[in-house]
Amino acid sequence: MTIKEKGYTHWEGEFLDKKFPWWPITRYGIKLTFRKKFFKLIFPLSLLPAVVFLAGIYVSERLEDFKFLFRDSVPILQIDPAYFKTYLAEGFMIFVMVIIVIFCGSGLISDDLKHNALQLYFSRPLKKRDYFLGKTAVIVFFLFLLTLVPGLIFIIMKLIFAGSFKFFLSYPWLPLSVIAYSILVTAFFSFYTLFISSLNKNRRYVAILIFGIYVGSDILREIFYDIFHNHYFSLLSIRANIQQVGAVIFDQRTPYPIHWILSLLVLIAICILAWFVLKKKVRGVEIVK
Amino acid sequence: MAQNSKGKLSFFLISLKDIYAFFFFMGKKSKKLKLFFLISIIPVVIALIIKINQFFSDRTPIQGIYIFNNMTVVMYLQFLILLLALFYGTSVCSEEVEGKTLTYLTSRPVSKSALLIGKYAAYTTLIIVLTTIGVTLSFFVMNLNDLLNFSLYKILLRDVAVLSLGLICYTSFFTFIGTIMRKSILFGLIFSFGWENVIQYFPGSTQRFAIAHYLKSLLPVPKTGRFSFLMFRLEPSPPLVSVFMILLITGVFLGLACALFSWKEYIFED
Amino acid sequence: MKPVIETQHLSKWYGNVLGLSDVTLEIEPGITGILGPNGAGKSTFLKLITGQIKPNIGTCSVNGKKIWNNFSLFSFIGFCPEQDAFFEELTGWQFMTGLLKLHHYSPAERETKAQKALEIVELVEDKDRIIKSYSRGMRQRLKFAQAIAHDPEIIVLDEPLNGLDPLGRRKIIRLIKSYKGEGRTIMVSSHVLPEIEAMTKRIILIHQGKIFAQGDIHYIRDLIETHPHIISIKCSDPRLLASNFIQEDFILNVKFSSQENTLLVETNNRDKFFSLIPALSVKNNIEVEEITSPDDNLQAVFDYLVGK
Repeated sequence: MTIKEKGYTHWEGEFLDKKFPWWPITRYGIKLTFRKKFFKLIFPLSLLPAVVFLAGIYVSERLEDFKFLFRDSVPILQIDPAYFKTYLAEGFMIFVMVIIVIFCGSGLISDDLKHNALQLYFSRPLKKRDYFLGKTAVIVFFLFLLTLVPGLIFIIMKLIFAGSFKFFLSYPWLPLSVIAYSILVTAFFSFYTLFISSLNKNRRYVAILIFGIYVGSDILREIFYDIFHNHYFSLLSIRANIQQVGAVIFDQRTPYPIHWILSLLVLIAICILAWFVLKKKVRGVEIVK
Repeated sequence: MAQNSKGKLSFFLISLKDIYAFFFFMGKKSKKLKLFFLISIIPVVIALIIKINQFFSDRTPIQGIYIFNNMTVVMYLQFLILLLALFYGTSVCSEEVEGKTLTYLTSRPVSKSALLIGKYAAYTTLIIVLTTIGVTLSFFVMNLNDLLNFSLYKILLRDVAVLSLGLICYTSFFTFIGTIMRKSILFGLIFSFGWENVIQYFPGSTQRFAIAHYLKSLLPVPKTGRFSFLMFRLEPSPPLVSVFMILLITGVFLGLACALFSWKEYIFED
Repeated sequence: MKPVIETQHLSKWYGNVLGLSDVTLEIEPGITGILGPNGAGKSTFLKLITGQIKPNIGTCSVNGKKIWNNFSLFSFIGFCPEQDAFFEELTGWQFMTGLLKLHHYSPAERETKAQKALEIVELVEDKDRIIKSYSRGMRQRLKFAQAIAHDPEIIVLDEPLNGLDPLGRRKIIRLIKSYKGEGRTIMVSSHVLPEIEAMTKRIILIHQGKIFAQGDIHYIRDLIETHPHIISIKCSDPRLLASNFIQEDFILNVKFSSQENTLLVETNNRDKFFSLIPALSVKNNIEVEEITSPDDNLQAVFDYLVGK
């Protein structure tokens, strides 16, 4: 008998499945994140690069008017896929994403473990899949606001400022690249964040781990590369792997001379590991050994 | 009057000792320490990989002590001790408030200052031991063929001392931060990996506003080479001044933390 | 008798919310019960007198000394907090001996006192299990144990019977009563009147942050006695029963409930009423299925007393 059918009084009618049973979890997670004082300052700041890049798109259409700012007529504001890659797939933006997921994601599962809330969730007509979807959607919401939404707005505003579809005709695949990259980076950080959040009940500890593993992986890459001069050590760095795949998505030269498939496989492997751990950690009953 | 003060001081020290023992025992048992221990062993693994590679490689091996020195700076000084100090420093106060166990401690005949300092000392000891083990093992691995060169041990002692001073200082700062702020982690991360990394590359006296400046002043400036960028623009302070400043910063922040902890009331979230 | 705990115009705000308002009290040795519904200010009051929080207005002193930041007083104060929080990774034994260490006892003394306290709360067999694996009742008993382990003169217990089974409650109540004879000062808070009644006759009633009654329990009981009670009776012949009830002067009102065969009776003398029911049911051959009291709760009593 499913949880929906249990009850003291028998329901004669039909059991209807709610369309998005995970939505209340997402809505609450987003609300909670916005309640944090620090986040109300950090989040607008994180959108500042998008504003700067948008201004760049505007200036690119008015180069003659802004020529006095540049010494030579160097086309430094060429709006092409490289420009999008610079905004979306450079180290700085990835770092900003890590900061944002620390805010919105570190307590997603760890707080539920701390307050024994998993039993409350799973004693309702909610599947594990819906639970994960709900939690993931919180991270997706914020990361899409940093990646997908600005990326698409850049394309739209470029078309509007240019007054023609020339840009779109030159790079018709660009919107798909923006979508693909946003999905990739969001999916990775969702798995990464939820995995670490499920490891401990202390959200401070989780926040440190999220940040520490990200930065530590980069430091490892630096150390090994400086000793061995082997670019394959870039596979150790989360940032480097994301940048490799990002470069390919935007049809740019990869920053490291290794096959991008390897970077993609590393990211997928982390997601698979995360999935297995999450399945084990998130359950309705806590077993105390 | 003098006897009264003496009595109070000895009572304070006894309380400090008891609290230190309690939290040292608890910290030793905790699962988080085991995980941090594994993280602090990563440089040892790196050292092993480098050494094994050197063993099988035809290329002229880079001097072990050179790699050790730079790994100490990159891995420990600029990363691990910051993470350890941030977590354990903020935990001194936050752990008890978040876990609502502060009541058990503040309803005992021990002063709040003794509570804070005792717990700080216990956690600092644990992370110093952790770091020392990692650094020492890395040293032995990197200098496997040179272990009879006793002059190298001075470098090990120096690096351990610098890292220990760094842990003492950073932990005191984060203890203070944990006492004033509920959500201290993000501030700590921005301070550690933002301020400390960036400000030390500023010329003139600006660098002196970073704890890392004084720690790096105690280490030799590497000559031009791969890792010289880490010391780029470092205008080191004299060693005695650096040690004095580190101890002063520690004392000031611990004092402030004690004063605040004694004065402030902590209301648990329901 | 000289008061042990004194408060003068004690008030506490949590932001805009008033936790406690202008409380002036003197607590003498013996057992004092603090009674109030949830959110009345009991925990706030106990936290103030144990120095866990500081008052916004007023003073609080124990044995003539201010309690806030006066740690030396805790040598003879034991506090059992309301919240269910522990150092989860420790065993019960480690928890007890660890906290006793902070009282500066020698190792032998610590072990003796920890053993004694755990024996009192019957946790000796589970002392080497980690606290994380304890049941709710065991955790509550452990909390009680840490409050009494160092033999304090003053024991402050915030809802000590929460989570305990009836047997556990009886044992703790008996223990608390035994402390009275030793000259200790015990303050116990609860929102259940019979629990407090079982321990002491001296009660302080607290409601919405204010003390609005204190004194002997009989006085409180008398107030409650005169408070009209509504009792619901489900029986085979409610109309016959009703016709018998209305002849009694302590029956104020009789109503027929919307539920089948149920009678609602309002009375100002519960004791007389309850002794009447068996006689009437036997005399008239009425089967009584169920007797409940919809307003038999502290909130109803408080509402009545506050209204008075």
